[in-house]
Amino acid sequence: MEADQEAVEAVSEILARVAPGGVSVEMPFRLVAEGLAAEVDASRPAIVRAYLPGRDPVAADAAIASARRSLGHLQAFGLRPIGELSVSAVHEEDWAAAWKAHFPVLRVGRRMVIRPTWRRHRSRPGDVVLALDPGMAFGTGLHPTTRLCLAGIERWGDEGIVAGARAIDVGCGSGILAIAAGLLGAESVLGVDTDPIAVEATLANARRNRLARRIGARTGSLPVAEGPFDLVLANLIASLLVDLSGELAAALRPGGRLLASGIFIDREPEVVAAFRSAGLVVRERTAEGDWVALDVERPAGDRR
Amino acid sequence: MAKKIRIVLTLQLPAGKATPAPPVGTALGPHGINIVEFTKTYNEKTAAQAGSIIPAQITIFEDRSFTFVLKTPPAADLLRKAAGIESGAKTTGKEVVGSVTQAQVREIAQTKLADLNAVDLEAAAKIIAGTARSMGIEVRG
Repeated sequence: MEADQEAVEAVSEILARVAPGGVSVEMPFRLVAEGLAAEVDASRPAIVRAYLPGRDPVAADAAIASARRSLGHLQAFGLRPIGELSVSAVHEEDWAAAWKAHFPVLRVGRRMVIRPTWRRHRSRPGDVVLALDPGMAFGTGLHPTTRLCLAGIERWGDEGIVAGARAIDVGCGSGILAIAAGLLGAESVLGVDTDPIAVEATLANARRNRLARRIGARTGSLPVAEGPFDLVLANLIASLLVDLSGELAAALRPGGRLLASGIFIDREPEVVAAFRSAGLVVRERTAEGDWVALDVERPAGDRR
Repeated sequence: MAKKIRIVLTLQLPAGKATPAPPVGTALGPHGINIVEFTKTYNEKTAAQAGSIIPAQITIFEDRSFTFVLKTPPAADLLRKAAGIESGAKTTGKEVVGSVTQAQVREIAQTKLADLNAVDLEAAAKIIAGTARSMGIEVRG
């Protein structure tokens, strides 16, 4: 049911009386900062949902009637109006597995294939198949910024600069980019992320792709002691790329390459300017929707 | 990571005992969220508070990855503890099952101020008092 934000606590308490598993509350969030943050919109109502077992229809109807009666009293307690309680039947599903339907086998670029671990895939010759188990960490191949990076790594592979390379993945998330580089023959990839969940996900996904010996991961950010690297992967956000531009440049050997992604199109000029001041040269730009990725080089003669 | 948000929602769940059944499955399943991973992490983080309801505010990103933060227990949970009762009234408007003081209401309002999205403590106290009455808890003093 819809409820004024003021009535959410009372409404969720009433519904929780009949819903053993708990209730869900959808506050009316409004996206801000180019969709990267959300804030509550005080002008719209919240939606409170509760689920009760429907196997015994008589008991369910009685519970609903009782909740309705209780809700009818709320305005007497000085809380702003609430909407009507609406009731609908939801079919029992294997909830632990239902979400998996949202993850098909994905083809990215010409030869990269992202295969959720529970799905089968008949590969074509030349396919590079990444086995991935989506969890909490970012990077499932469903987001444009990730796809732009995978396509960029594939291009690097075609140039012949991935095989044997030492690489770092800054903000490694699910580890998808590190694994792509590993599958294309990188000698070692170090993943770093400030989120410990991402580090665990990267290590688990590396094992799934039999890359545990070549892919490492730990919590943290730049700078790291292991540098400089031949290749740097950085699927971050524009502001972080700007803040880290000096460290990103320093993490590259002269002649090394950086793939910078997660750049909202409006912020591209700032990132390009920061890279330029850090002595980096943009070689190629790719875009999908509102998102931009930059293929960047630290010039071979750069000895600063 | 450029995490573009798809939706933010809150689940009020029994600490340490969340299961993939509704409301978790029904709320997260349609967004393609790895439900077992959510319940496992939620239960680990809330195991110490078993017996309480601990809301999880979940942010789901466009690529179906997600993150969540734990919030303060619902007003009802805090009111039950303050009134020293196991449960509130079964039906609103009839039974009186306990009482709290005005000061306790303000204390709960203070605890929950950040999560209630109320303009000030006064508005938060009004929400708490209304919830108390709805549960059959009298506000005294």
